[in-house]
Amino acid sequence: MAENSGTDPTVDSNVVENAASDRTMIVVTVKTPKDKEEITISEDSSVAQFKEEISKRFNAKQDQLVLIFAGKILKDGDTLNQHSIKDGLTVHLVIKTAPNDTISSASSSGTPQANSSVNPSSAPNDSTTPDTGPTPASTQPPNLLSGFGDLSNLSGMGMGSANFMEMQQQMQRQLMSNPEMLSQIMDNPLVQNMMSNPDLMRQMIVTNPQMQQLMERNPEISHMLNNPELMRQTMELARNPAMMQEMMRNQDRALSNLESIPGGYNALRRMYTDIQEPMFSAAREQFGNNPFSALGGNLDSGVQPSRTENREPLPNPWGPPGTTPLESRGTGASTTTTTSAGGTAPSASNPLGINASGLGNGVFGSPGMQSLMQQISENPQLMQNMLSAPYMRSMMQSLAQNPDLASQGSNPTATTNPSQQQQQLMQQMLQMFAGGGGGSLTVTPEVRFQQQLDQLSAMGFINREANLQALIATGGDINAAIERLLGSQPS
Amino acid sequence: MAGVKVPRNFRLLEELEEGQKGVGDGTVSWGLEDDEDMTLTRWRGMIIGPPRTIYENRMYSLKVECGPRYPEAPPFVRFVTKINLNGVHNSNGVVDTRAVSALAKWQNSYSIRVVLQELRRLMMCKENMKLPQPPEGQIYTN
Repeated sequence: MAENSGTDPTVDSNVVENAASDRTMIVVTVKTPKDKEEITISEDSSVAQFKEEISKRFNAKQDQLVLIFAGKILKDGDTLNQHSIKDGLTVHLVIKTAPNDTISSASSSGTPQANSSVNPSSAPNDSTTPDTGPTPASTQPPNLLSGFGDLSNLSGMGMGSANFMEMQQQMQRQLMSNPEMLSQIMDNPLVQNMMSNPDLMRQMIVTNPQMQQLMERNPEISHMLNNPELMRQTMELARNPAMMQEMMRNQDRALSNLESIPGGYNALRRMYTDIQEPMFSAAREQFGNNPFSALGGNLDSGVQPSRTENREPLPNPWGPPGTTPLESRGTGASTTTTTSAGGTAPSASNPLGINASGLGNGVFGSPGMQSLMQQISENPQLMQNMLSAPYMRSMMQSLAQNPDLASQGSNPTATTNPSQQQQQLMQQMLQMFAGGGGGSLTVTPEVRFQQQLDQLSAMGFINREANLQALIATGGDINAAIERLLGSQPS
Repeated sequence: MAGVKVPRNFRLLEELEEGQKGVGDGTVSWGLEDDEDMTLTRWRGMIIGPPRTIYENRMYSLKVECGPRYPEAPPFVRFVTKINLNGVHNSNGVVDTRAVSALAKWQNSYSIRVVLQELRRLMMCKENMKLPQPPEGQIYTN
């Protein structure tokens, strides 16, 4: 009957502990969801003392114990009497385990999700784990990774494995359906920090198993990833949607020049024909009937292509040339964009220069590309994964609406510089991702700025390409465009 | 004893006793809010958050009001502890009668325990078990 109040500083030593002789002892049943114990204690005890006994019996710390009786939580300062706890009655016990990870993960969503999940020190290691939670995350470790799953997906181009897919898809869906969220995420300094760390980004990309597969088959991608300049630039672009759009348009314009190169179109077409069959059949699963009818849309050259999935070899090279490139481009874009930059040189001032070189080699000609295509067609699941990523859709829609972009994506030139390809590809992809929601180009810039273009050329700016880019960048403002042109001449 | 109309107070006293004896699986608890309440109207309930859900390790306190027509009429239930659960109003914790089948299809053989257990079951539903929750310890003030 030792006095044990001295051992516990929280217990008021004046209160009689259960050793007292002339207090009535009562037997109280203490029930946990798993366990049941009968505890003998003095009727006048305080809850604190009661807990002391319980902690001994259940082998848990006192502050882990939560006692409930008759629907009320028993506080340490209360007495059993207060709650009318009498002999033979049952008190419920909950033993709290470590403080909730679920709470911290529950509170994160959207932007904060990127916050909580950004942890540079542990990032590279964590990003490998596939189980990322959707925005309402369930437990902490997955939540930590969900941000990565998302961001690495940025670069992974939606090529998440089937494991990742659900989570990433959900995330992407949310992101895409809520462009504000995306810009929120992008604006988040943490995200920006992370993205400005090329090593980190690279790690994230690399550890995505799909990317790894891809890299094996297509060394160009690893080149791309290994080029810090490129990564930095890419991340720059990813951060700045406006910049990306501009880049995109640069490339649009550059590509449109391709059409004017004799023989260029043929080369393009040839390539597409090689690819389009397997691509399309793979895509067909995904889309069903008429996937590329949207892609078969407007051509700025004025030739309305047959808006069908006309897969036949094109009898008339100058007839519906847009269709085939577009359609195969559609699938090609989604798959090839990951491995090859479709665009020509990023610089506005020398599109033709680069265009002229390497004609006929073709992006699709490169073995890496072909292997990718094969891989894609062999693995409809992969295709499906890629295509079902929502931003893929928006990208394809954009592609549809901008045939230039589409043909650009398959630009045979610029193979001489694979890293450039990748770079542009990345740019495209990232822009698509970021700008896909709002950036649909319904009317080609060339058409829109027709009048301004004429004015500029009348003024003596003969570089139509550069003109157009300037106009696009300034939104049609001639004066500003002129300033741009004058200012960017050395480039 | 189906069909027998038990007087309200008898029923409630019985429930009081059950609450004190811990009848049930130990995951819910209930009792009078005020032991001196002779009308046995205001009750308190406690639900222990089910494991493997976002509610795990949390204790949810509720107020249950058994009106004069209890047990012919279902009780009013509202959460005191803030919770994000389908069927519970976000602003004041009031449980929507239509969302809880025990309340929507109330029978006089049901009891406070049944309602509490049903709410706990709802926490385990797919649509609820991952809902993000407010920080622990917050209560509704209205």
